[in-house]
Amino acid sequence: MDGRAAIKVEGPPAELERVPLVGNQRGPGWLSDHIAGVVEGKAPGWWKISFAISVAMMTVCFAMILYLMSTGVGVWGLEHPVMWGWAIVNFVWWIGIGHAGTLISAILFLLRQKWRTSINRAAEAMTIFAVMCAGIFPLIHVGRIWYGWWLFPIPNSNGVWPQFRSPLMWDVFAVSTYFTVSVLFWYMGLIPDLAVMRDRAKTKIRKIGYGLFALGWTGSNRHWSHYEKAYLILAGLSTPLVLSVHSIVSLDFAVSQLPGWHTTIFPPYFVAGAVYSGFGMVLTLLVPLRRALKLEDIITVRHVELMCKVTLATGSIVGYSYAMEFFIAWYSGNPNEQFLFLRNRAADPFIIGPLFHVPPAPYWWAFWTMVTCNVVVPQFFWFKKIRTFMPAVFALSILVNVGMWFERFVIVVTSLHRDFLPSNWGYYGPTWVDVLQYMGTFGLFFTFFLLFIRYIPLIAIAEVKGVTPQADPHHPLGGAKVGGGH
Amino acid sequence: MKTMPPPCSEPETGPKYWRSLEHLADTPEFRRWAEREFPSGASEWSDPVSRRHFVKIMSASFLLAGLGATGCRRPVERIYPFARMPENYVHGVPQYFATAMRTRRKALPLVVKSSEGRPIKIEGNPDPPGGNGGTDPLAQASLLSLYDPDRAMRCTRNGAGEDKKAALDFLSGLGKTPGDGGGLAFLLEQNDSPSRARLQQAVAAKYPVARWHVYEPVDLDLGRAAASLAYGAPVEPHYKLDQARVIVSLDCDFIGSEENACANIRDFAKGRALNGKDDSMNRLYAVESLFTLTGLNADHRLRVAPGMVMAVLARLALHILSPSEMDSKLEELAAPAQAHDGWIAACARDLQGSGGKSVVLGGYRLPLAGHLLVVAINEALGAVGHTVEFHPTAAAREGTLAELAAALHAGQVRTLVILGGNPAYNAPADLNWAQAQARAGTVIRLGYYQDETSWNPSAHPGAQWDLPMAHYLESWGDARMADGTLAPVQPLIEPLFGGMTELEVLALIGGLTPSSPYEIVRETFRSIGGEGEDDWRKFLHDGFLAGSAAGAASVRHDPATWKRAIGGLKAAPAPTKESLDVVFYRDSKMDDGRHNNNGWLQELPDPITKLTWDNAVLISPATAKELGVFTERSRQNQKFFNSRVEVTLNGRKISGPVWVQPGMADHTIGLALGYGREKTGRVGAGAGFNAYKLRAADNMHYASGASVKNTGDKSYELATTQSHWSMEGRPVVREANLEQYRKDPKFARRMKPEDPPAVSPLYPNPLDTTKARGLHQWGMSIDLNRCVGCSACMIACQSENNIPIVGKEMVGKSREMHWIRLDRYYAGPVEDPQAVAQPMLCQHCEAAPCESVCPVNATSHDDEGLNVMTYNRCVGTRYCSNNCPYKVRRFNFFDYNRRPLDHQHLYRSPLVAQTDGEWELMRWLKNPDKGNLPEDQWQLARLVKNPDVSVRMRGVMEKCSLCLQRIEQAKIAARVKARDSDHIRLSEKEGTVPKTACQQACPAEAIIFGDISDPESGVSRARERERSYQVLEFLLTKPRVTYLARVRNPNPEMPDSKEHPLPRTTDEFNKGAFFPGEGAEEPAGKGAP
Repeated sequence: MDGRAAIKVEGPPAELERVPLVGNQRGPGWLSDHIAGVVEGKAPGWWKISFAISVAMMTVCFAMILYLMSTGVGVWGLEHPVMWGWAIVNFVWWIGIGHAGTLISAILFLLRQKWRTSINRAAEAMTIFAVMCAGIFPLIHVGRIWYGWWLFPIPNSNGVWPQFRSPLMWDVFAVSTYFTVSVLFWYMGLIPDLAVMRDRAKTKIRKIGYGLFALGWTGSNRHWSHYEKAYLILAGLSTPLVLSVHSIVSLDFAVSQLPGWHTTIFPPYFVAGAVYSGFGMVLTLLVPLRRALKLEDIITVRHVELMCKVTLATGSIVGYSYAMEFFIAWYSGNPNEQFLFLRNRAADPFIIGPLFHVPPAPYWWAFWTMVTCNVVVPQFFWFKKIRTFMPAVFALSILVNVGMWFERFVIVVTSLHRDFLPSNWGYYGPTWVDVLQYMGTFGLFFTFFLLFIRYIPLIAIAEVKGVTPQADPHHPLGGAKVGGGH
Repeated sequence: MKTMPPPCSEPETGPKYWRSLEHLADTPEFRRWAEREFPSGASEWSDPVSRRHFVKIMSASFLLAGLGATGCRRPVERIYPFARMPENYVHGVPQYFATAMRTRRKALPLVVKSSEGRPIKIEGNPDPPGGNGGTDPLAQASLLSLYDPDRAMRCTRNGAGEDKKAALDFLSGLGKTPGDGGGLAFLLEQNDSPSRARLQQAVAAKYPVARWHVYEPVDLDLGRAAASLAYGAPVEPHYKLDQARVIVSLDCDFIGSEENACANIRDFAKGRALNGKDDSMNRLYAVESLFTLTGLNADHRLRVAPGMVMAVLARLALHILSPSEMDSKLEELAAPAQAHDGWIAACARDLQGSGGKSVVLGGYRLPLAGHLLVVAINEALGAVGHTVEFHPTAAAREGTLAELAAALHAGQVRTLVILGGNPAYNAPADLNWAQAQARAGTVIRLGYYQDETSWNPSAHPGAQWDLPMAHYLESWGDARMADGTLAPVQPLIEPLFGGMTELEVLALIGGLTPSSPYEIVRETFRSIGGEGEDDWRKFLHDGFLAGSAAGAASVRHDPATWKRAIGGLKAAPAPTKESLDVVFYRDSKMDDGRHNNNGWLQELPDPITKLTWDNAVLISPATAKELGVFTERSRQNQKFFNSRVEVTLNGRKISGPVWVQPGMADHTIGLALGYGREKTGRVGAGAGFNAYKLRAADNMHYASGASVKNTGDKSYELATTQSHWSMEGRPVVREANLEQYRKDPKFARRMKPEDPPAVSPLYPNPLDTTKARGLHQWGMSIDLNRCVGCSACMIACQSENNIPIVGKEMVGKSREMHWIRLDRYYAGPVEDPQAVAQPMLCQHCEAAPCESVCPVNATSHDDEGLNVMTYNRCVGTRYCSNNCPYKVRRFNFFDYNRRPLDHQHLYRSPLVAQTDGEWELMRWLKNPDKGNLPEDQWQLARLVKNPDVSVRMRGVMEKCSLCLQRIEQAKIAARVKARDSDHIRLSEKEGTVPKTACQQACPAEAIIFGDISDPESGVSRARERERSYQVLEFLLTKPRVTYLARVRNPNPEMPDSKEHPLPRTTDEFNKGAFFPGEGAEEPAGKGAP
């Protein structure tokens, strides 16, 4: 018995070895230096140029709002019968984009998906800015913007009280709750990192600034213990919100009686679409950023791949939903719905139209752009070569966002433009104000996002460190054996 | 209803109470005012004319405050409240006065509502025999012209402003000129006014050699000339369409553009009333080249080139006239219609088989010989005495415009007096009128606008006086209604800009006394209606003179006349691609151009083409294809971008956009008159092209030999309110043939596409509980069988409910604001379709989809079942409109009421713009209500507004309220009357239920509004009819507006008789078989609508 040699436990074979979440065996010290370095270093040239452009575009955004408010909603291309146009399309689109952040930070957190740590901070920031951009549209699209506050249940002498049967009311609550919780959640996660920034700060202003927001964080066990409980609670709170906010936005449509809107499939379908577009936007932002800021070791190819897979999954759900809509329209036997799906949307001049002997749908191009971008494009992510080839991922992620914008356009506009009575039918097109207003919100979004990159660690330093092999004291590189420093 | 002005006692003079702060201060201004104004006013209070002054003071109180200061050539006057309130006058309570509006020779009797001295709504007078209170769109819209800021506002001499006194001196100076009237010529419009006839005689007696000429650019009076000739005595035809069982219209749009259309619609609709399946209804055959309202309502429609109508008429005559009367010339004329012989023969049999209860109508485009033939056919049918009567009339003695032009060119006219009309714009092009007019030494022109006929510096006439004409609501006059009944024209308001009437000018030039129009009319009345003051007052009060209708003249028909007349006729050659026929037609809105500056009419969609703000070169789809001039539609928005073509006729050219019109005769183009004005107001400027430039004296109404050339320019935008023309097989308008209806009276209810789902709604409907509290339950029923699509309801609604116009660009973006619209659908082959019209307005759904989605409760139900809009609450999310299946809600995208409507002003931010030299933001801060209208427009624009309806600002949704204000007024009146009793329920039996504006205006009585909780009410009975159905009933919105299905009455013997009306077979449209290129989905796409 004694002579028995100790059994050598073999490690798993190399192909089963987990790929570390941080590449090149980067240690905690490198992580702190590198991530904080983005904030502490000099602003790179590309940042300055992008920021200048973004601010200019943001100015356009506000100028368009001013023009709209002073002149009337007529400056947009809205008309009878399409009373909602680009504004609502953009609203839903931005809200959808705002989905990925909280999904990544909350749901993936609850599901113990550790890879989320490299991307959750930036994704959450994206969420907040996207919801801000989204929030602008319902606010300014109303005819009398100065009475927009009537949508809030504020007791007043006018005796105007909101009507809670209207989905627009639900929207007000859903979006504002989502925004509030997302901001809180994001800020919670920021506290340890803000303390890092405070501690590393070399100027007085930075010390005070970061110190103020770090809320006296010292990194004590007690702090960490409270922090993690709070983080978990907020993650728990956010999770239903991820599902609720877009479900409720979808009810704006589903509650109406308009063919193409009045569909019970909308809530899950909208959530899937939102996650799809949210991940698309995260990819759009992070793929170039990881290169520009040399974050390839933190946001690794594996991260990108995983996000591509989520995109593929949600994109396929979206594609399935499209198919179901057509199936239900056919199966229900509702002639108005059948008319809508075939003759307002799908009938193109080349294949479907001639096949069914119907003239082309006025918006067939929008519908087929949507199908191409949302159903065909994600299928490319089945291929590992594409998932790991960054220019392709970047290009496809943009198509995902284009597709999701067209999805909302198809839902809003093609359903409205030809409904029950043919005498009402019309054709909607945007004006330059619609276009600039939409472009302007990109300015707003990127202004905030670029400021975020420059002033807040765009990767959760503390959390990333926690998922490195070095964080495990038993790991050969663990503890303070090599590198060290915190 | 109508109240006579109260006699006012002597005003109080003793200074017991101070009347104003100025009075208290006893300022010199006040003393001057008191000395000058008051005594003169006082002396006239006891005068019989006192009404005018009463009205003057009231109207002035509104006008002067603003107008005086703005350089509108009116002195500043301060207006004070009544020192003593006139008896029976209550502030805020409207008053009603009877008057009449001249159409051409005849007039439409009206009752005009006046609020605080401002006429604000025009209604038909229901009291004259046969009257039902209906009006036409032109009468409804004439109110807006009263407040037109572009109307002629001052007397001018050679373009320079002159005192009115100077003008009056000049006129009376003329009147004192001795002589026989050599070199004096009058150019008048048609008018049956007895006063004018009397003055004409008096002036002619004084100036026996003066020339008298009458010109109407669209002369609808050919029937009179023909009848006078055929009967050898001055008579005119009077049709009693309600008596007719079979009506054949030969290019006669008696429902739309002919004289007395309003009365015609009323009588025609009576013959279409179907109360049960055993009722019979009349049958209408239409032979026409354009697609008109008459064609839309026809049971059989024959589409022929304009020249061919005469051939069809001749062939009809061959079938109807007795063989003894035949002559070979008639056969020669009838030869080209050989191809339609089956149609014509069956039609003739139907006419003959109705035992005199039939009538043939000839339109104004027929030659005189055609009208003579029509008289002969009606004689042969035995219609005379039944469906047509010949009333004695005054013989036409005046000369024509061509004669006057010849005299002018010959230098025989020294003084030319033009009373009304606008010959420089609408005279035949070959008369060269502008030059002719310049040959006169002195021109005196009475006109409503500064227009083409006004002083033109480049024409250099010797001298020209332009006098502003008074609106009929500012004038004294008299007129004859369609049946000859005498009606008064009495003013409701002192002329706003010192306008004069035709009578006044005639009297002054003739040196007659008295020259006051009131005295003239009063004097005329003495000889017609009696001497007594009471007769006169009753006449004014009632708005007509009972028993003054013309009776049938006993005259003998002379068949030789038509034989002589057709001798000179030649069979018209069939038009070809190279030699097209051109039809010049009276526009349903602009008339001959006289309403060109009326925004309500400019924006009213044409009942057939649905075009606004423009005329177009109408052309049939096949011909358009042949000529390669399709309408091309831009995909960018709702606009139609059209090919511009050049039309050449006898060397004269015009160019205009093409409009492909289904149902037009091939190789024929239709040109609406009245557009393309060179000198008009701000509203009419730039609208359409001038078709008069193509028109010569010998082919006033249609001409052949035109050619069309594509200019290659495809950028012309036409604004239409309805871009899709087919019902897509949906049962929106339900229609059956009379036979089918008799077999299956409930066909309309069976035509619903699917059964409503058996699901209970998400929310309990609040109305289900609140309904119990309502005293009434309002509802409306629209009889599609009576509705002819005349659009009077649209303008009535616009006037009643302060609906703004939005301008051509906004209509192009489908942003028009009409609360009630007329949907027009085509069905069948695009070359020769059937058409239907359907009034569509808020359906007041009991389970209204709009209500549950409004986040601020701005739209909700009252307990009487009305879907009401709280404008003040609306923030403008527009969700309600998206969720409205009928899409009848209208959104104020801009501040249409308070901004000029062109692109530059609508789209210009007030933050960076100026109006009247002041920053718009500053103007807004000073007075937020004023908006950015120039001062003169602003001052007048608000006068036309109905004070009982709020004027909506931008960002607010609006829609039909079923004239809530009228309901509320009726309820208040009932409560006041009820005093302590609880008899406050409105009841139709007692006549306390109000009429909605559309209902009141409808000459066809197609719209019935009332209380559906009262089983006796008209609307309740209508809802119970078998033909009653709801539009989109499968959505379970439970509309309170229901429709009565349409029934066509085709003659089974006719070759074009169809088993079903065509809307049932609209699959053909869906499949796109009829539209070249693109297919029916976008019928307006290439090729056709």
